[in-house]
Amino acid sequence: MSGPRLKLALEHDSASRGRHVRDIVQELKRLYGVRGALIVAPDGFVIAAELPGTVEVDSLAALAATLGRELETSATRMGRPSFSTALFSADDGTMFLAASRIGYIVVLAEAQVSVQAIRVALADAIALIEAAWAPGEATG
Amino acid sequence: MTILRRLWTPRDGREPLSVPDALRRAELRRREGRYAEAGALVARALEIDAGNLHAHLLAAYLHVARRATAPAKEEFHWVLGHDPNHARALLGLARIAFEERDTRTCHDLLRRALRFYPEFPEASALLELVRAREAAPPAPVAPAVPSAPRVERLRLPGTGRALIIGRADGGLIASQPVTDDAKDVSEALARMLHVATAVLRRAALGPLHRAIVQDGRDAVFTRTDGELVVSLALPRATDPTQGLLDVNRLWSATQHELGLAAGPPAAAPSSTPADTPGAAPTRRVS
Repeated sequence: MSGPRLKLALEHDSASRGRHVRDIVQELKRLYGVRGALIVAPDGFVIAAELPGTVEVDSLAALAATLGRELETSATRMGRPSFSTALFSADDGTMFLAASRIGYIVVLAEAQVSVQAIRVALADAIALIEAAWAPGEATG
Repeated sequence: MTILRRLWTPRDGREPLSVPDALRRAELRRREGRYAEAGALVARALEIDAGNLHAHLLAAYLHVARRATAPAKEEFHWVLGHDPNHARALLGLARIAFEERDTRTCHDLLRRALRFYPEFPEASALLELVRAREAAPPAPVAPAVPSAPRVERLRLPGTGRALIIGRADGGLIASQPVTDDAKDVSEALARMLHVATAVLRRAALGPLHRAIVQDGRDAVFTRTDGELVVSLALPRATDPTQGLLDVNRLWSATQHELGLAAGPPAAAPSSTPADTPGAAPTRRVS
């Protein structure tokens, strides 16, 4: 990491990115048909979450991060590009998972939610994260 | 530690910072996904106090967050070397063991963590996942289908890149085209679906039926009923509705060919022309 980049990040963005990441999750939560959203680090650490009270956040985050890593490590083993987004459809709802530089974005939605609408929102969220987190940030 | 220092070398002319302050700030940066900044602060803390357990644990987390498995393991082991029952370090290593397909080690580490800290939701959730995986019978060599399948009659859509027909335990029934790694793909697919099922259960969404996984090249459409898995790789730009129609058509056809469905295969047409009869044959593994 270069000195000037670190200085810029430390002096000008000390609080804004924390709010920023929470805003991203709240925006996802506001979408029609969305029950909840979270951003979880690859180690299972919850960065931000807006989930229904019936869902135990830490357990879900731990498993969601495991799923994200599973998709990444499988791709690596197969010599394939890593996943960008994934959708899992079940009887009572749909889960979306997207990879970002700081971790995985998870969206829990109704079964009949507009897949396209959520995909666009996830793409926007990832673009926001990319813009807010300097290229050197997550890679050191 | 050496690797951490190399990756996040602190800058010159920095303000004085105590170890607790550096770690507190590092935790805050971590909470914001600012891993490099957090790493720089942890490195500073370790320069002052190389034996700080909290700093080593944070370093391990940050390596995991950066998908750097080897140094993460090193740091988790360091922590366990100083506190053999450190639940968070045990969980961290268990997660890495799971990634490395070392289920037994993962299981043992989680049990150790839960022995000392029974109320540990992340460890409990992961142990439940591992136990369910262990309970599944190993993939047999021959497919457990009720009748001889005629999967060679299945045809990919014109834009289809690959078809995997397998079982939820990872056993491969058939693939198209014929590739040496189809068995590995089937196993990886089953494993991924197994984890996804656990996440859906934890989110109270019910059993998994369909999945779409996109990467930079393909969109892989999968349908499953918890026993059979049909997975179709299409170009990334494929419309989701059309991709699901294509995989549904192959699902019905597969069930018919395997003798799992009473009626004829569904007549849903593919969006794209079917491969010509001379196209790559489907390999049946039996």
